[in-house]
Amino acid sequence: MSDSFRSATGRKVVSRASAADLGMVSYFLVDVGQRRIASVVVGRGKKARLVDWAQVSGFGPDAVMVSDEGALRPAAGDREQAAADGKLDMLGKRTLTERGNKVGTIGDVTFDPATGVVEMLQISDRTIPADTMLGSGTYAVVVDASQEPVP
Amino acid sequence: MTASQINGLPVVTVHGGDDVAEVRDVIYNPEAGRLVGLTLNKRGFFSGRSREVLPAEAIHAIGRDAVMIADESSLVAPADAPDDVGHPATDRNVIGNDVLTEGGTSLGVVRDLALLVGSAGEVVGYQIEKPAGGHGYIPLPAQLAVSGAALVVPDVTQEFIRDDLVGLGAAVDDFRARLGMQ
Amino acid sequence: MGALDWLIIFLVLLAVAAAAFVVIRRRRRGGGVFATRGKP
Repeated sequence: MSDSFRSATGRKVVSRASAADLGMVSYFLVDVGQRRIASVVVGRGKKARLVDWAQVSGFGPDAVMVSDEGALRPAAGDREQAAADGKLDMLGKRTLTERGNKVGTIGDVTFDPATGVVEMLQISDRTIPADTMLGSGTYAVVVDASQEPVP
Repeated sequence: MTASQINGLPVVTVHGGDDVAEVRDVIYNPEAGRLVGLTLNKRGFFSGRSREVLPAEAIHAIGRDAVMIADESSLVAPADAPDDVGHPATDRNVIGNDVLTEGGTSLGVVRDLALLVGSAGEVVGYQIEKPAGGHGYIPLPAQLAVSGAALVVPDVTQEFIRDDLVGLGAAVDDFRARLGMQ
Repeated sequence: MGALDWLIIFLVLLAVAAAAFVVIRRRRRGGGVFATRGKP
């Protein structure tokens, strides 16, 4: 069963140790080279914190379980800070091919909740495999030339 | 794809997905028939020009929506760029130049440069405004002799004036084959 | 101060803002296609 960024956004994050509600999933930070979720951003604005995928003990349909509150940490470095601010959010982001042509806007991203592996990008009426991704940044998600739009 | 469509495009990193600059001017070598680089503005409505430039060799691709580069190290300081790019001659705007055949006939005035789609800046033709009015496209030889400020093209070019970019694309190979035979 | 004074202050501020805007936009003017200097 795969999950998606759109349906997982807003899901509550719960500590397995204390059962405390730690906040809600706001964004995902994707490691494009590994093609998997690097970390999940919990909360928005100044209160946003990150939890590394390795610290997620269960990404369930109703809640995201983490070991304890200590798994949540502040953003470290520019890229994580951009992710915490939502600037790297792939939802709604334009997609360009490496040849500089626009493919469309990302509507949703599917992933395997067991492994964090990103599977598909839904762009307008197309679904393209995530292994075509070359980069994901503040301006665009870049995919390889195999996804070149037909003129 | 034409040169004026490149002006103002964002410059985006393939591996970073970030817009690091936007295109200010196109620098073109008429002898070689290709772009040699781009000068840049910073991104953002109120930002000014960027000191860094983008040599053609560092361009990954030029598309309809963005100029793609590998990463930010593709942007270089003027001192590290070829002189034509680092210190471009901004007094020689090709747009508006007369196109003359070797026989001395004016084919018109350059309105734009036609680029090979998907290339890193090979210029295959000019969009011209004909002396009688109206637009047309002419193909360019792979190598071009340029004398002074006017652009001089072979006489046979006259037979290859086309009405649109599609027609030009088809004409370039025929035209170059004709030149090769002579 | 009267309404006319305020109007003049407003117009002066507007003119300054417009001038600043023009200066900023002109700094990033571009859009040229420049030929390289030919070999001598």
